[in-house]
Amino acid sequence: MRRIVVGKVAEIPVGGRKIIVPFRGRAGIGIFNVNGSFYALRNICPHKRGPLCTGEVAGRSTTSAPPSLTDGFVDYEREGEIIRCPWHAWQFDIATGQCLVDPDVRVKTYPIIVDGDDLIVDVDVSDFIAE
Amino acid sequence: MAQTPDKLQQIHIGKKGAAPIAAPGWTGKPADRVKLVDCDVHHNIHDPEQLLPYLPKFYQEHLLDQGLHLPGSGYANTPFRHTRPDIKDPALKERDFNFSLEFTQKELLDRWNINFALLTGPPVFLALAGLPDPDWAAALCTAFNDWTIEHWLDKDPRVVNAILVAPNDPALAVKEIHRLAHRKDTVAVMMPMQTPQLFGKRMYHPIWEACAEHDLPVVSHIGGLSPGSTPTPVGFPSYYMESRMTRPSVASAQAASLIVEGVFEKFPSFKVALIEVQQMWAVPLMWHMDTDWKAIGDQTPWLKRKPSEYFREHIRVGTQPMHEPPQTEQVYQMLEMLHADETLIFCTDFPHFDWNDPVTVLPKLDEHTHRRIFAENALDLLRITDDMIEAVVA
Amino acid sequence: MQAPDKLDQIYIGKKGSAPISAPGWTAKPADGVKLVDCDVHQIFREPEDLLPYLPKFYQEHLLDQGLHLPDPGYANMPYRRYRSDLKDPELKAREFNYSLEFTQKELLDRWNIDFALLTGPPPLYACAGLPDPDWAAALCTAFNDWTIEHWLEVDPRVVNAILVAPNDPALAVKEIHRLAPRVDTVAVLMPMLTPQLYGKRIYHPIWEACAEHDLPVVSHIVGDSPGSTPTPAGFPSYYTEYRMIRPSLASAQAASLIAEGVFELYPNLKFAFIEAQQMWAAPLMWHMDADWKALGDQTPWLKRLPSEYFREHIRVGSQPMHEPPQTEQVYQMLEMLHADETLVFCTDFPHWDWNDPVTVLPKLDEYTHRRIFAENALDLLRITDDMIEAVVA
Repeated sequence: MRRIVVGKVAEIPVGGRKIIVPFRGRAGIGIFNVNGSFYALRNICPHKRGPLCTGEVAGRSTTSAPPSLTDGFVDYEREGEIIRCPWHAWQFDIATGQCLVDPDVRVKTYPIIVDGDDLIVDVDVSDFIAE
Repeated sequence: MAQTPDKLQQIHIGKKGAAPIAAPGWTGKPADRVKLVDCDVHHNIHDPEQLLPYLPKFYQEHLLDQGLHLPGSGYANTPFRHTRPDIKDPALKERDFNFSLEFTQKELLDRWNINFALLTGPPVFLALAGLPDPDWAAALCTAFNDWTIEHWLDKDPRVVNAILVAPNDPALAVKEIHRLAHRKDTVAVMMPMQTPQLFGKRMYHPIWEACAEHDLPVVSHIGGLSPGSTPTPVGFPSYYMESRMTRPSVASAQAASLIVEGVFEKFPSFKVALIEVQQMWAVPLMWHMDTDWKAIGDQTPWLKRKPSEYFREHIRVGTQPMHEPPQTEQVYQMLEMLHADETLIFCTDFPHFDWNDPVTVLPKLDEHTHRRIFAENALDLLRITDDMIEAVVA
Repeated sequence: MQAPDKLDQIYIGKKGSAPISAPGWTAKPADGVKLVDCDVHQIFREPEDLLPYLPKFYQEHLLDQGLHLPDPGYANMPYRRYRSDLKDPELKAREFNYSLEFTQKELLDRWNIDFALLTGPPPLYACAGLPDPDWAAALCTAFNDWTIEHWLEVDPRVVNAILVAPNDPALAVKEIHRLAPRVDTVAVLMPMLTPQLYGKRIYHPIWEACAEHDLPVVSHIVGDSPGSTPTPAGFPSYYTEYRMIRPSLASAQAASLIAEGVFELYPNLKFAFIEAQQMWAAPLMWHMDADWKALGDQTPWLKRLPSEYFREHIRVGSQPMHEPPQTEQVYQMLEMLHADETLVFCTDFPHWDWNDPVTVLPKLDEYTHRRIFAENALDLLRITDDMIEAVVA
């Protein structure tokens, strides 16, 4: 494990993100600010190895029943908490790395330490380089 | 080429139809439980006027003026005159085929040791789904159901019925279901597979609700009519063989519609069997829907599970006509892909030319899969009670 | 929703994703053609891009009516159609970079693709449903000429499927004759959804012209068939259901071509069905063979098992690849499909549901790998030996 300063708190406002890719490297990690909390995900989708962290951050639709005159109004929830891979659109919970469309799938997450103005991540170097 | 009729008759002396031959996976032992359920046995009228006693005067006039008045639905499944020529009854001079219960008992139920036979009526009738007059469509269903009761039911405990309803006015279909649901031999509801709109559309939900209320599955048989629709997304094919290739498209579209529109979320006990449309279509449908649901499930948030889970719990597929892949091994692979021990139900399609007998339809299966396909999946699907089972295996 | 300028930040230092070594894939320098991509969409930015390639009469039409394409139902565009990781931050005015250079960089170079078959913008395929056959033909000609100017003769890896409209087959034949002399014309692109089924006699002159020039037909979803319904029971409600129809469409066209004897008439003609999944072909072959044995008397012009026509004449695109619950079932499917004869690799770049060449299939034996990723396409497309030399030199 290696402790790496990945940026400054002020660099990533609420709803923002930063993707760290080593020189000539692949994959890397993405740092996200979701409602003031910071999260880090590996930038490889466990489905087809797409660059997950470059996907759209959004929420998801929800309803209790199939739509009808009296039922099933489609609502939208968790705005800003879910990322969708740009390849094939699988959704992941940014905070936990849990895939929302397959309970057996999870993307690797890394704890983030906020140390003053610094954002620090503990990474496994092989994940980080991932070549 | 053409054999003279009297020679054909000679053949049948001493041998009417084929007898079961011992084959892998099949035993001719006396039943100690239900071993064979046939979910597609066609019973038929031989003349439209047989329905007259079951029609009100108003529709008797209609039938006498217009005949059955069924719209043409493209090619019928009638090459070689529809029915197996080997079971033409030489005792009947005035027509080719013996339409009686007794003949079916002898040629199918007794000969092949069938414990339950689900009556599925004449496929040409299913074109009533395209009748512009919804009352005539409903009257035909009611008359046919009452004719079936008088001529086919209450006589043999092995014979159970899928009551015919028309999709044209769903309220009338609901009424017919309520009228006949109390009969024990009503074990399913027959719905044409080709309907004016897809099964998932809300206009049909009252029919599915009535089925669910009475614990009756829908058995949907190939045929029917969807006015204004084309058999393919590219218009009309030229030849009969091509039209047979469109069957998986109908089944696939109806299954996708039922699942995607949330019918099984609304009616969690409801089941649908799709009959005489081949089988393999269900595999890529499950795979493709699961993949797409993972990507674009946000567009149908009322689906709480993978589409294949709805399929495996709620949709059944008939075994006839069974695929004949080049390698036997591929039959086993297909059965595994289909989850056949959950989804497949045996069908003969008696008495049609392309029927499947229970002996040669599949290669030897392990006992569990054999039991599921040939009996238990159907017993779980149809509203067959324990005392009905006792009556046939006693 | 996220503001565009934040999205832009992401791409600094990283535009798109790079291939990662995976089973079945090597990044070794090519000593032969290793990867042919039969579905790369080149797209113009706005209808006015076509103006220089239209005669004055149709320039007026375009300025008045726009592309004037009929609406074929749902387009394949959830999540705004394109892979969002490919948005080019250097372009402020629009989201997606439509240039050859961008496709070279993001697809050809990055994934070591030897040949990329251009398949145009799927919405343009709806020209198949245009009531005005001359406008449909003019659009095809204009788009083909735009492609020549902006995409061809620059990179020997880029080959073209010239777009033709089925509306007036004689005009399609004329366009095929016009562009067949070009070496980079390696196929003819036909919308998969056409007013009538491919086997119908009205289309035979098109197939004849293709056969004459040794050009295969690459048929991509979708198009338009006025008066037809997507299913035999009318219109589905949702996009997911529409995607499930694709196999029906491919299956109906393949059955029509075989049953109506097109391959008896044109023994060297080949078709490829692109972006319609794959497994549909296995039950179609089985079902047709079984029925041919029973009913072959009704189509006595068919001299062989229908599956033999299929295996010799019809190819199936690998995208979107099925993802069965067990990896073993992929191998079983490939065997059922005779994938070493029938499957051609496609990325569908740059769409959101594309397949990359690394993860699309599990590890294959070397022979099957070569057939699917290169040789089946080389056998299909009109790619000559000197074209191959130019890309592997």
